[in-house]
Amino acid sequence: MRATLAIARKELSVTFTTPVAWVVLVVVAFFSAQVFAGALDGFRLLTSRAGEIPGGAQLLERVNLTDAVVARLFGSVGLFLVMTMPFLSMRLVAEERRTGTFELLMTAPIRPVEIVAGKYLASLAVLAVALLLVALFPAFLSVAGRGAQGGGAVEWPTVAAGLLGLFLLGAAALAVGIAFSALAGTPVVAALLSLLVLLGLWLAGMFTVGAGGAARNLAAGLSASEHLAPFLQGRIALPDVLYYLSLCALGLFVAERAVEGRRWA
Amino acid sequence: MIEVSGLTKRFRDRAAVDDLTFRIARGEVVGLLGPNGAGKTTTLRLLTGFLPATAGSVRVAGFDVFEEPRQARRRIGYLPEVPPLYDAMTVRGQLRFAAELKGLRRALLPAEVDRVSRLTGVNGVLDRLTVNLSKGFRQRVGIAQALLGDPDVLILDEPTVGLDPIQIREVRDLIRSLGGRHTVILSSHVLPEVAMTCSKVLVLNAGRMVGFDTLDGLIARHLPGRTVTLDDIAFLEEIFGKLVIPA
Repeated sequence: MRATLAIARKELSVTFTTPVAWVVLVVVAFFSAQVFAGALDGFRLLTSRAGEIPGGAQLLERVNLTDAVVARLFGSVGLFLVMTMPFLSMRLVAEERRTGTFELLMTAPIRPVEIVAGKYLASLAVLAVALLLVALFPAFLSVAGRGAQGGGAVEWPTVAAGLLGLFLLGAAALAVGIAFSALAGTPVVAALLSLLVLLGLWLAGMFTVGAGGAARNLAAGLSASEHLAPFLQGRIALPDVLYYLSLCALGLFVAERAVEGRRWA
Repeated sequence: MIEVSGLTKRFRDRAAVDDLTFRIARGEVVGLLGPNGAGKTTTLRLLTGFLPATAGSVRVAGFDVFEEPRQARRRIGYLPEVPPLYDAMTVRGQLRFAAELKGLRRALLPAEVDRVSRLTGVNGVLDRLTVNLSKGFRQRVGIAQALLGDPDVLILDEPTVGLDPIQIREVRDLIRSLGGRHTVILSSHVLPEVAMTCSKVLVLNAGRMVGFDTLDGLIARHLPGRTVTLDDIAFLEEIFGKLVIPA
C-alpha cells in the first residue's frame, strides 16, 4: 500500500512536469467551453423565440437548462475523454520500459499489482481535475442564474449523476489505456491502440444502423456512449455502472498480467 | 549468501546463460568478467529476479528469487546496466522514491538518503534534476540507490562505466570497503578493475562459466611459476585470453 502511494505520488509529479497532462486539461477545458457557449446560445434562442411559434409554450415547459445545456455539454465531454485519456495513460508503463526505470520497479520488493494500482490512481487524479474543470460550467450557470425556478435552475442531482458517469467513463478509458501501455512497446503505439479501441466502443452504437435484433442489442450493450446517456439524464442504473466497472477491471487485469509477464527490458 | 544452481536462460533457441552453478559466501566481492555478449547482464538480471529463468534456481540470503521474490529482493541492492533514474526528479526525490519502494520507514528516509549520498559523493547535487547530471553522477546516484536500506547483497552491472579516472578510483575504494559486510557481485569488461576490487573472479564466455576462482588460484592454474603483483595487471589479460579464446 505504501509503495502504491509512493508510485502514485511519483507518477503525479512526473505527469505534471511533462506537458501531456496540461495539454489534456487545456483541451478538455477549451472544447468544453466551446460546446457550453454553443449550447447556452441555443437555449437562449429557444426560450426567447418559443412564444413566436405555435405550441411554443408547451415546448418551453418541457425543456430545462440542465437537459439542454449541461447534458449536451457532458455528452461532448464524454467524447473528449475518449480522445484524450489515451494520451494520459500511454506513458504509464511503456515509458518506464523505454527508459529502463522499469527495472527499478521490477526489482523492488513490491508486487506488479501495486505498480499498476499506483499508476492508475495517479491517472484517476488527473481525470478528477479535468472533471472539476468541467463542473465549473454548471456551477457558473447556477451562480449566474441565482433565483431561477423550475426549468431555469440547475438540477444538481442530474449534474452529479452526469459527473459520476463521466468519471466512470474516464476511469474505464484509463484502464484500457494502461493495459495497452503495458502491452505495447512504445507510448505512441499504446496511445494509438487504446484510441482505436475506445473510439470503437464509443461509436459501437452507430454500427447498428440498419441491423436489427440481436446484433443491435449487442452493439448497444458494448457502446460506451449508450451507457453514458442515462447518467446524463440523472439516472444511475446498475447495468451502466457495471459496464464501466467491468471495463476497468478487465483493463487493470490485463495490465497487471502484462507487467508481471513482461519481466524483460 | 548467493547460491546458483543449473541456472539457464534461453531467448528463443539461443542460450544466453547456460547451466551456471556457483556459490558466493557472505562478504565476498566477486567480479563477473566476460566479453560483450557473454551473458553478464543477463546473469545479473536473473540473480535479481528481474528475468525469469528457463531452468535452475537462485537463492539470495536463503530465499529463492523466483519463489519468494519479495523476501529476496528486500536483501538485494541492484544497479542495472543503465542507472534507472527519472529525468523529471531531483536526486533527493529519486533516492526517496527508491527508498520508499524498498519499504524503508518514512521517519528514516532523510537520514538514509543522507548516508548513501555521502558514501557515493552525490550529497552536493541532491537538489539537481537527474536529467541534468553528467554520466558519472548518474552512475553514482544509481550506486547510491542500490545502497539504500543497507542490503546484504549488492549486484552492480558495470559500476564504473562513464566515470572519470578519479571517480573510478573512488568507486573502487567504495566497493572494496563494502566487502566483508556486504556480499558484492559486479560485472565488468575492464580487467584491472576486477583485479583491484574483487576477491574472486567468475569468467563467462558465451553464457558458460569458464572459470571461477580467486585471483591467486587463477594465476597458479593458468600462469604457473609467474609472480604477479597488483600493479602488474597484464596477467589477467593473459588469463582471460586463455579462458575465452578456445570457445
